[in-house]
Amino acid sequence: MLSKRNLFCTLGVLAGVALGSSAAMARSLDTAFGEVEVNDDPQRVVTLYEGALDASLAAGVTPLGAIATRGGQQVANYLRDQVPDIQMVGLAGETNLEAVVALSPDLILASPRLPEAQYALLSQVAPTVVPPSSGFSPDAWRDEALLFGEALGREPQINEALAAVDQRAEELKARINAEGQAPSTHLVRWMPQGPLVMSTKLFSTGMLSAAGFAVEDSGLVADQRPHSDPLSLEALPEIEGDWLFLATLNEDGQEALETASQSEAFRRLDVVQRDQVVAVDGQLWTSASGPLAAQAVLDDIETAVESNATQ
Amino acid sequence: MIDEKLRRPMQAALMLLLVTCVASLLIGAGDVGVWRSLMVLFRAEDADAAFTVWSLRLPRTLVGLAVGMALAISGALLQAISRNPLAEPGLLGVSAGSALAVAIMLSLGASMMELRVGMAQLGALLGCACVLSVTRLRGVGNDPIRLVLAGAAFSSLLAALTSLLLLMDQRAADEIRFWVVGSLAGRRVDDLLAVLPSMALAGLVLLALVRPLSSLALGERASAGLGHHPGRLRLLAVIIVALLVGGATAIAGPIAFVGLVVPFLARSLCGPDLRRTLWLCLPLGPLLVLLADILSRCLVAPSELPLGVLTAICGAPVLIAVVRARRLPTLS
Amino acid sequence: MIERSSSAMPQSGSRLPSDHRLKDRVTAPRGYWWWRQGRFSVLIDRRDVLALLVLLLALLVASGTYLCLGNVPIAPAALWQMILGEGEAMPRFVVEQLRLPRLVAAVATGAAFAVAGCLMQTLARNRLATPGIIGIDNGATAFAVASVVGVGLSLAPSAMALAGATTAAVITFGLSVGGGARGYRFIVAGIGVGAVFAALTQLMLARSAIDLANAAWPWTVGSLNSRPPNATLVLLIGLVLGMPLSLWLARSLGLMRFSDAVAMSLGVPMRRRRFQVLATSVVLTGLAVAVAGPVGMVSLIGPEIARSLGSPRQVPVLGSALAGALVMVLADLCGRLLLAPLELPVGIVTAVVGGPWLLWILLRSSGSR
Repeated sequence: MLSKRNLFCTLGVLAGVALGSSAAMARSLDTAFGEVEVNDDPQRVVTLYEGALDASLAAGVTPLGAIATRGGQQVANYLRDQVPDIQMVGLAGETNLEAVVALSPDLILASPRLPEAQYALLSQVAPTVVPPSSGFSPDAWRDEALLFGEALGREPQINEALAAVDQRAEELKARINAEGQAPSTHLVRWMPQGPLVMSTKLFSTGMLSAAGFAVEDSGLVADQRPHSDPLSLEALPEIEGDWLFLATLNEDGQEALETASQSEAFRRLDVVQRDQVVAVDGQLWTSASGPLAAQAVLDDIETAVESNATQ
Repeated sequence: MIDEKLRRPMQAALMLLLVTCVASLLIGAGDVGVWRSLMVLFRAEDADAAFTVWSLRLPRTLVGLAVGMALAISGALLQAISRNPLAEPGLLGVSAGSALAVAIMLSLGASMMELRVGMAQLGALLGCACVLSVTRLRGVGNDPIRLVLAGAAFSSLLAALTSLLLLMDQRAADEIRFWVVGSLAGRRVDDLLAVLPSMALAGLVLLALVRPLSSLALGERASAGLGHHPGRLRLLAVIIVALLVGGATAIAGPIAFVGLVVPFLARSLCGPDLRRTLWLCLPLGPLLVLLADILSRCLVAPSELPLGVLTAICGAPVLIAVVRARRLPTLS
Repeated sequence: MIERSSSAMPQSGSRLPSDHRLKDRVTAPRGYWWWRQGRFSVLIDRRDVLALLVLLLALLVASGTYLCLGNVPIAPAALWQMILGEGEAMPRFVVEQLRLPRLVAAVATGAAFAVAGCLMQTLARNRLATPGIIGIDNGATAFAVASVVGVGLSLAPSAMALAGATTAAVITFGLSVGGGARGYRFIVAGIGVGAVFAALTQLMLARSAIDLANAAWPWTVGSLNSRPPNATLVLLIGLVLGMPLSLWLARSLGLMRFSDAVAMSLGVPMRRRRFQVLATSVVLTGLAVAVAGPVGMVSLIGPEIARSLGSPRQVPVLGSALAGALVMVLADLCGRLLLAPLELPVGIVTAVVGGPWLLWILLRSSGSR
């Protein structure tokens, strides 16, 4: 498995290098809205999607503008240091087109959920790359990252970044599964009315499985939905498991843990009493995607596992 | 106080309320079913079930009792002082006022329950003041529909302001989105204790006011002729309403239509006298709230529906029934 | 159409009455111009005409400012060049593709909301009785949100909004059959129906996925950012048909401001008119909500401005349309500029600025209505 993936990556890198060296012309990409011509070395990039910002930073291109992450007024916390000067061009879902035009971009990277009316306008400003929507699947972000990398003319860097993520996930998996079975876990967002159980088909739950966890949703998440309805506190034992990852929309997962801990039903959970609850940054875990986000998620997992081992 | 006309409906309502309270302890969204809960009521060996019944269902039942009483009483009171059968804390924007106040508190980062109660009551008071000053407009005071329109306009303004907070502060957004729909889920006894003193105070003042207030139904002049001060009475009644609605909103969020439906039912059961209406509201209010809450737990288990949605769906037909009734403009 | 008639009238009007006075000593009533053309003569209310002119001028200035200001500021001179068909490509794109459609949408929705509000207010003899307040907006919002979060049919949100407004209105009509001539029962039934729809909207938002709830959010507050162009076109057609109809209805409404008995003896078919007025008002609101979402506050503010400027004798349909458009344009301009580069939805601006102002108007005029 590992070797096969590495082989593919190597091939990808080779192909990328070959393409990169041969090209100084416009290239054609397959996007959700058909073929899009992209010039070879885009300099002024605007990203209208968390995953696009992440991918272009991973490819070594710093975008001029980006939209704020869901639930914030800035880019996500884990990327903030890398893009101190980035311009905000709107909130998720409310793109300010004029702000995009003001940056006079030569490439726009957008979300698979971009409405067609917006695409019609954006594509007049600059070539707009919209990944084909593939529903919910834990690996959708890889295809998106590859497409964005291709649009930026930097496939080798993206392939390298993806390979690095895979390798690190494998290492973690070896460590976590060292004792035999994969530990069961839920990813949960704590809301005032009770927890939302996140789907197993999301980016971050995909990373958890890649790192050797058996992620569950207890059959609560309907197909094609990112998460369940808020659970009743009475039904809280449904999220029992070896581990529990707990997030909110805001940056501070710790705060979510504190709110949750006020509830006696939560404190009664076995996983809570064993102290195997990991409070995580909701912006990263439930809104972000991309190679850098993957590394950050793996960081969180590694820290959690290590601190648990030292206890 | 309890006369012949009140006794039968009162007995029936109390019986039903008792049954509903027990049902509220027995039925839930989780694994602990009716039988296990019933066993817990007799002997407490089953730790999980005992926890579910005593620590999850009992608090929300108690909260439901308090909220139901507060909303029903304040609806009846508002209707008495405005002499308008459509006056209701939710429709008039009183609940929206306290909801906005709490939203402001949340977005400023406060999470202390006591602070929240105070702010919610202040917001409710402001809401009352605004809507009732609209009734001071000529020709509005004696026209039930104008008062309701003023309330609806006011509520929509407050809702927009709450939306603004949603936009400005996404940290609070999640919390507010769930909080602007009233619910009893996850409420604790501590939350109830925080609002009880002010509600009890309101209840005591109300006891002293009931007789003079019921004279208001005869009209302002008659009331003054009996030696009461209509203006002062109104003011006190508004403060009581604000304390009750603010308390209820702080603990359960805005729950619409209870204050409309329950007094309407009470009046149709025992006649228009304010004293009887108020007494009958005491069991009927919690009855409605608890029934709606039980439904909210059962319909989409293991999740829950927001309570405010259910009461709105039950309440709107009653609103329309009131309007379709012949004696619309007068209360008595 | 508005521009030509209002600019042509004062000139001829100011000249003619004085000529006429010499001949047969018939003079226009105080405050009117008298315009005669052959066998026809028209009395024109001076204050109304002036009010319309002022509003039109203000709207033109506001529209010019709207086109100039934003993240990409454009000098008025450059704007003029663009009107002449010159100018650079980038600013051209900003003005033609981004700002102009939005300006048209703002003007059209503002006018539609305000005219709908004006009609219903006059019918109910209540300044607070607007389609938004009685729940038509809520119906439209509930349907649009349902479409965004993926409940039910997969129609576009704007089509669903129109369907929702119609549904809410039909239910309300059905519940209020046989109501009083003022449509009072209609109003309260509407508030009830609106409350149920609002509750359903809350339910859908609370239960839907967080990202979808965020996407549906503009539909719950009202926003002009990247609105569906088809909806604007439909609204424009609706306005072209609806404005003359409203002007015609306004004549009956003027009489209906008297008591029912008086109006009927003056030959107003009350029942039929009431239905026509309510239907026009609902359709205009539905079309406007389909473009901008629920910006109900405009239907309160627009007519209020028109009434305070214009003559009290008229039902200010044209004035409301202009004032509503003006309010909408200014509010959206503020929304684009205040938090730039982030945008404040226009519904929130109108509510935050218009709400307190409206309350103040209501409270100030207590006892003097």
